[in-house]
Amino acid sequence: MKSSIIQIALITYKEGLRHRILYGVISAALLLIIASILLSGLFMRDLLKVILDICQSATSVGGLLIPFFLAINLLAGDIENKTIFAILAKPVSRQQYILGKFTGLTLLTGMVMFILTCATLLSIYGATFIYPQAVFSSLSIQSIVFSSVMAFLGVTVLNSTVILWCSVTTSSFLATLLTLSTYMIGQSTENLVRFLNVSGEEAAVSPMVQKIVHGVMYIFPNLSAFDFKQLAAHGLAIPMQEMVFLLFYSISYSVIMLMLSMYLFNKRDLS
Amino acid sequence: MNIISCNNISKSYQSGFLERDRSLALRKVSFHIKERELFGFVGPNGAGKSTILKILMGFIRPDTGTTHIHETLASNPESRHLLGYLPERPSLYPHLSPREHLLFGAKLHGMTKDDASNHINDVLKVVDLLDSADTPIKKFSKGMAQRAALAYALLPTPKILILDEPMSGLDPIGRQIVIDIILEAHSRGCTILFCSHILNDVERICDRIGIMNKGELITTTTPAAVLDQFPPEKQRGGKTPLESFFLHTIEEGCCEK
Repeated sequence: MKSSIIQIALITYKEGLRHRILYGVISAALLLIIASILLSGLFMRDLLKVILDICQSATSVGGLLIPFFLAINLLAGDIENKTIFAILAKPVSRQQYILGKFTGLTLLTGMVMFILTCATLLSIYGATFIYPQAVFSSLSIQSIVFSSVMAFLGVTVLNSTVILWCSVTTSSFLATLLTLSTYMIGQSTENLVRFLNVSGEEAAVSPMVQKIVHGVMYIFPNLSAFDFKQLAAHGLAIPMQEMVFLLFYSISYSVIMLMLSMYLFNKRDLS
Repeated sequence: MNIISCNNISKSYQSGFLERDRSLALRKVSFHIKERELFGFVGPNGAGKSTILKILMGFIRPDTGTTHIHETLASNPESRHLLGYLPERPSLYPHLSPREHLLFGAKLHGMTKDDASNHINDVLKVVDLLDSADTPIKKFSKGMAQRAALAYALLPTPKILILDEPMSGLDPIGRQIVIDIILEAHSRGCTILFCSHILNDVERICDRIGIMNKGELITTTTPAAVLDQFPPEKQRGGKTPLESFFLHTIEEGCCEK
């Protein structure tokens, strides 16, 4: 069983690598990171923060392009183009297929984000030759790396929802739309909940809306919780307790999504 | 000994707004295929031929009835250790080469890379793709892609080959190559089940023929029985005996189950 999952993960990774989209993502993000050094020259202060803001945003965007474009292409495309028959015609269960695809996508995401994080560190290294040492007084490499790891966990959670949407929908368009909705909701629920918690009597929110927002918070992934760009940009340490909690959260959420995907995909007719 | 058994399979699809409409794709279809038999399904579009093959592959779950491959339920992935399958529209990963696909397929069957290597070359030779073994599938013509998919189905030496329209869309040379591959596999002892629109090819190579229409298996027959009933010299309008038998069976709805 393990061997089949690994084989499907490797073929997903290999096929993903050969998609030009992946090279496009990496080239664009690398260009953006290099440009960050040049753009930071336009600012009078907080140069390191500007460089890190641009680089880390590029890393996040690069990672997000995997679930939005490659994952849907590789998974919903398999079903649309009937490539899935080539895999399921072999002694492979649908559960193994789902797990293999998810593992392959996680490998791709990890690879893209690793390259972009390395490029971020190279940008900072390059910037040390241009700007005085005082600019880098608040630099914390550890925070930058941890921030990227957290961003990777966030994208992994999103990958697991892509798997769910691709398991239940019949078209890649619908899967993209649902993934986009999940991302947007996932990015905004935390702010909404914060607003509900601070709103007083003068800005009362109906109990119904409060219940809906809390319901949405538990159903959709809280993706904004994985965003530590600001802390890293200011060279502040990311609390270890929070990282451990988020690691546990991302694993639990992904496992639930994958189990749901496997259950629903197993019931589906592939005609 | 029956190697494939289908008992009372029915399948309907839901369609329309909120999936309220139901269309019946298969109606209580039963048939059995013996070991080393070459069985062909023929029937008009929408007769349910591909649905049967997909049920046997476990891609579709029947509403009622059971299907067994060598005494294992068809929905069990273990049954596919014995199977090779060619879908109606063969679709492999466009950026990968036939060799990469075959190695992937062999590993899914539990073979090691070393064990698979020689076997892959043999299969590629059979389908005449040894020279293009490392070319990405996206650069292939339809015929070459069909042969690549057939090679993928032939690895590692299946006991049963299930082929969905293996000759469709191919030129006469491509068709002959596919027929030769099917006959070669059959001569090695492989049981073959396929469906086709091309009655000529079915008549030429099958031991037994099943005629389907509107989700029902109307009759099963043999080429010899067809020849007896519709001798070639009595056919008009250039029809072959099987074409005459097929049209007669469909029109008359004659039932011989």
